[in-house]
Order: sequence, then structure tokens, then C-alpha cells
Amino acid sequence: MPNVLTVRGLKKSYGSQMALAGIDFEVRAGEVFALIGPNGAGKTTTLRIVATLLTSSAGEVTFLDHDLCKEPDFVREKISYLPEEAGAYKDMKGLDYLHFMAAFYARTPEEEKEFVDRAVAITELGDRLRTKVGTYSKGMTRKLLLARALMTKPVLAILDEPTSGLDVLNALEVREIVRRYVREGTSVLLSSHNMLEIEFLSDRVALIDKGRILDSGTPAELKDKHEAKNLEEVFRSSVR
Amino acid sequence: MKRFTNLLKKEIKELVTKQLIISLAFTVILFNFIGQMSKKEVRKAIGVQTISALDEDGSAGSQALLKGLESARFKILDQSGKTKDQAIETAKAGESKLLLVIPKGFGDSLTELKPSEIETYSFMRSFSLIGARGQIVVQSVISALNEALSNNFLREKLPDMDPASLKKPIKSKDFVIVQDKMAEGSANMVAGLISQQSLLIPVVLMMIVIYSSQMVISAVAMEKQNKTLETLLTVPIKRTSIITAKMLAAGLVGLISAGVYMVGFKGFFGGIGDEAGMAGLQAGGASMMRQLGLYFNTSGYIILGLSIFMAILVALALAMILGVLAEDFRSAQNMIMPLMFMVMIPYFISLFADINTVSLPVKIFILAIPFSHPFLVSQNLYLGNYGMIAAGLVYMLIVFVILVIAAARIFSTDKILTMKLRFGKKKAAAA
Repeated sequence: MPNVLTVRGLKKSYGSQMALAGIDFEVRAGEVFALIGPNGAGKTTTLRIVATLLTSSAGEVTFLDHDLCKEPDFVREKISYLPEEAGAYKDMKGLDYLHFMAAFYARTPEEEKEFVDRAVAITELGDRLRTKVGTYSKGMTRKLLLARALMTKPVLAILDEPTSGLDVLNALEVREIVRRYVREGTSVLLSSHNMLEIEFLSDRVALIDKGRILDSGTPAELKDKHEAKNLEEVFRSSVR
Repeated sequence: MKRFTNLLKKEIKELVTKQLIISLAFTVILFNFIGQMSKKEVRKAIGVQTISALDEDGSAGSQALLKGLESARFKILDQSGKTKDQAIETAKAGESKLLLVIPKGFGDSLTELKPSEIETYSFMRSFSLIGARGQIVVQSVISALNEALSNNFLREKLPDMDPASLKKPIKSKDFVIVQDKMAEGSANMVAGLISQQSLLIPVVLMMIVIYSSQMVISAVAMEKQNKTLETLLTVPIKRTSIITAKMLAAGLVGLISAGVYMVGFKGFFGGIGDEAGMAGLQAGGASMMRQLGLYFNTSGYIILGLSIFMAILVALALAMILGVLAEDFRSAQNMIMPLMFMVMIPYFISLFADINTVSLPVKIFILAIPFSHPFLVSQNLYLGNYGMIAAGLVYMLIVFVILVIAAARIFSTDKILTMKLRFGKKKAAAA
């Protein structure tokens, strides 16, 4: 499978604080690649750089053979980013929010409708989409935001803690939606604390700590290599 | 363009809330109400006023005084036959604003041209200036009476002489020269009329600048607080378009809001300044101002409008940067303070001093504030200082371009997410 995203020697520092100390990884077409690690490991910084929100201090990020640094506008056309603590405009109705976001990507009104219809199906919120986002529960808002991120069928969806704050059933549903879109061709770069979620969702995983990638591979490979029952044990073994 | 329009629509919709419409409508209604109330009071004050008079003299002179007051639109309640204390009590209990007591011997003193004294008792039921107007009119009637009596005396004793020339042998005829134009009038009157004409400029400017800037700062701060900024920054739209859409929306809504407020103000000022006398005075002044060339023609209004517009643009660009520094809506409220000071400094200085004649360091300081220039436009237009006006416009344009470039750079870099100004606390930007 060709690479959608290639990251080489990526470094990022905020003043004297080093957030990324030179990381390498790639996301292949049609796969879910996950970054797992503790708080402050550098997961969100990596995702923000790939999403064109932050600039790197050193290293190279290539998206579909385009330099992310030099062509951020090209990248933004093809990706979508779901931040961990994302919100939607509270005074907008859910449907209006989807139309507002779809209009940035759609080239024709028909395409905009297609995007919104797809998002409506993902949210399963029905008539609640005609009410203001401010009245939604956390789970409803997260589903709306996930629908926004996937409705354009982006080449790469960057999902930061996609099930953050969701109950078990909602989290399960979100994971199934993500897997469905991956089957339809979208590649996913995600980060999560939830090792179970990572095992269920990811094709390949990178363990990240203190701005460095400790190990990477498929969940099965990593478990074999570290003689561990699950990814939590793999992570503990890698940190040691 | 479609993406920009999409964002602009959203920005305008976010700003034009029910609360804004209600607050604008409420302000207009409130100002109009206050204006109408004031108008009523002014009409009452200049209309027929009731005073009480205790004429203890009953002479031709005292009758002439009361007739004079009647012709000055006073309704006189006669308290004859009462003692002074009874008259005071009766007048106090009634609607009279003033009691006039003409003592015995008043007429005789007048005939003999000896100083005579009358007493006035004002009943202050409120402390408004309009409320005290009654006594002022009585005083002017008395002074008119004094004038007539002394003129009569002088005519009697010196029939060949003009009493006015005798009383004021030296007369001054005042002329004012502005540039190469001259008109009859006093410098005081010109200065008064100029400040009256330019009164609205700082009010309009302050309102639009503060209103629009508040909107831009809040718009950026709200995106941060609601965690929508990160998503917006990753959609395919140029960062400069995001800045422009936010500034344009705030500018448009700010202009409309200021316009609505001005309608309210007009209702308010129209109420308190709608006296026939004032209109007459202004008409007289207007012809003098026209002779001196101290009025705005179309090009003057265009230049003034351009200057105010440039100041608004500078304020919006500065507000955009301040908005980035704000962490949330609450801190955005504090961010407006530096901008308010920058507008208020030239405003207050223009109230109490002439910016053109202050010391050089103060002048440089004031001119360095972009918002000072619209305050100076009217003066410079009148005095023909077109160079100063052009320099002011160019300076504001340069400041605006620098601020927009700075805002665009901030929006295009990490700073949009990492730049914060926290009051009293420091927080590292961590992932």
C-alpha cells in the first residue's frame, strides 16, 4: 500500500521545552495508524502538525508527495481534523453547522447536499439536528463533530481521542463508524489513551513517550515482540 | 469567494443576535423617551410660567413691572392683601416657581430715581437648570426695566443725547479672520460653534471603534473558548480570509449599530436642544461660519468619513491581534481596555486643549495614536492644513497595513494557538 503520509525526523519545541524529539512514521492508504502514549507524550502536537495547525521545528512531513510545510492549502483540501476538545458553534442548529462546514469542501450545491446527507446518516440524530448545538449532550456533539470530520470522505482523517468522554455504547458506535469509512478508502491517523480502543481500531500502532517513538507495528506484532497479553503491557514493557 | 462568503455569513449571524437587536431597540426607545421628556420640560420652561406677586406698593411703576413680566409670558398670581409670610406660604403650596415682592415706596423711588429694591423668593422643587430658568427671566425683565428707566431719565435730563451712547461711550465691533476670510462676530462664538459642530465626531468614532473592536475580540476569543478555532483553522480557507471575514462582519455590524445609536442620540439631543432661541442663535452663527468658510462641504464630509473609516480599520486590525491574546470571552473584556484608552486620550485632550498647540513631546505622543487623526480632521479642514490631513490618512493606512500583516502572520503560525496573555499568571504552551 502506498503511503498517504510520511513523517521523518519531526521535531517540535515550545521555547526551551521539547515536545517532539525527532519522530518517524508513515500512514498507509486505507489503514488506521494510532499513536498511543501518556499525557504530554507528544501525540496531540504530532496530530496538530499534520493537521497544519502547528509548524515543525525540524523534520519533514509529506502528504501525498506534497510538502506539508510548503503546501498547507493543498493538505487542508484533503484532510479533516477532529481535535480532542473540539466544539461546535453553540448557537447554530446541528444541520446548519453541517452545511456551514460542508460548504468549505463542496464544489457544487449537489456535492454539499451529498456531504450533509452523509453526515446526517452518521450522526443518527434525526430531528435533533434542527435544534441548537448548545442543547446537545457531550455524546451528541462528539457524533456531530465526527460526522463533520468524515462527511467529505477525506484522504486522511486525523482523530484526536475520537471517543473521549463518550459512554461505552456511543464509543462503540463511533469506532464502528470509523472502521466503515476506512473500508471505504479513508486513512486515519488517531491518538488515544484507550489501549482497548486502539487494539480494536488500529491496523498499526506507534508507542510514543517524551516526544520519541519507542516502538511501532501491528498490535499483534507488538504483543508478540514484548510477550504481552495486550497493548497496555506492551507499553509498560517499552517504557522500561 | 464562496468559502469567504460562507464564513462571512456565519460571522454576521453570530454577531446579529436577538440580544443585540433588543439592546439596540431598547437604546433607541430609551433615548427617544428621555429626549421627549426633556423636550416637554424645555417647552414647559420656555412656555407660560406661573409666578406669584405681592404688590405692596400698587404704584404705576410696580404695575409696569408686572405688565413687563406678563408680556414675558409669565402668568401672575396676585397675592395682594396678604402679608409676606402668608404670600410665601400660599405660593409655596401652589404651582408658583417664584414669588415677587414689590415693597411699599417702590414707585416713588423709581420716580425720584433712587435705588429701589424688590425681593424674589424662588421655590426650588428640583435642581435642574431648566427649573431655575424662572428666576433668570425675572432678572432679565428687571434689568430691561432698569434699562428703560435709566434711558427715560437720561432722555428727560439730556434730550439731545442718545442714552445708549452716554452709557457706553466705547463700543466694540468684533471681527474674526480665518485664513483670508473675515466676518463680524466674536472668536468665542466661533470656537463655541466649532466645538458644537465637531461634538458628534468623537462620539461616533468612540462608539464605532469600541463596539466593532469588542465584537472582533469577542469573535476570536469565543472561537477559542468554544474550541472551534482549531477546526476552523484546518478547513480549506485562507487565514487572511478568516481575518477579513471577522473584521468585515464586525465592521459592518459596528457601523449599523453605531448608526442606530446615533438615531437614538439624535432623538435625545433633538429633545434637549430644540429651543427656538437656540435655533435662532445657530442661524445667526451659521451665516458667520459660512462667511468664514468654516463649514463642511461634500468633499469635507468625504475626507472626514475617510478618516473615521481608516480609524475603524486600524481598530479592527488591532482588535484582531488583541483577540488572539485573549484566552476566553472573559479575558476578551479586559483586552478592550488598551483600545478604549487609545481612543479616549485624544478625545479628552480634544475636549480640554488644542492638540495643535500642546508641547512637542505631547503632540508627538498624541499624533502617534492613530485615533487622534479623525479628531483633528475638522480643525485642519477649516484651517486648510491639507498636508496634516493627508499625513494623518497615510499614517493610519501604514499602521493598518502593519497590523493586518502582523495579524495575518499570527494567524498563519503557531502563535494563534500558543499566544496568550494571562493576567497575573503564566502558563506554558504544552501539547
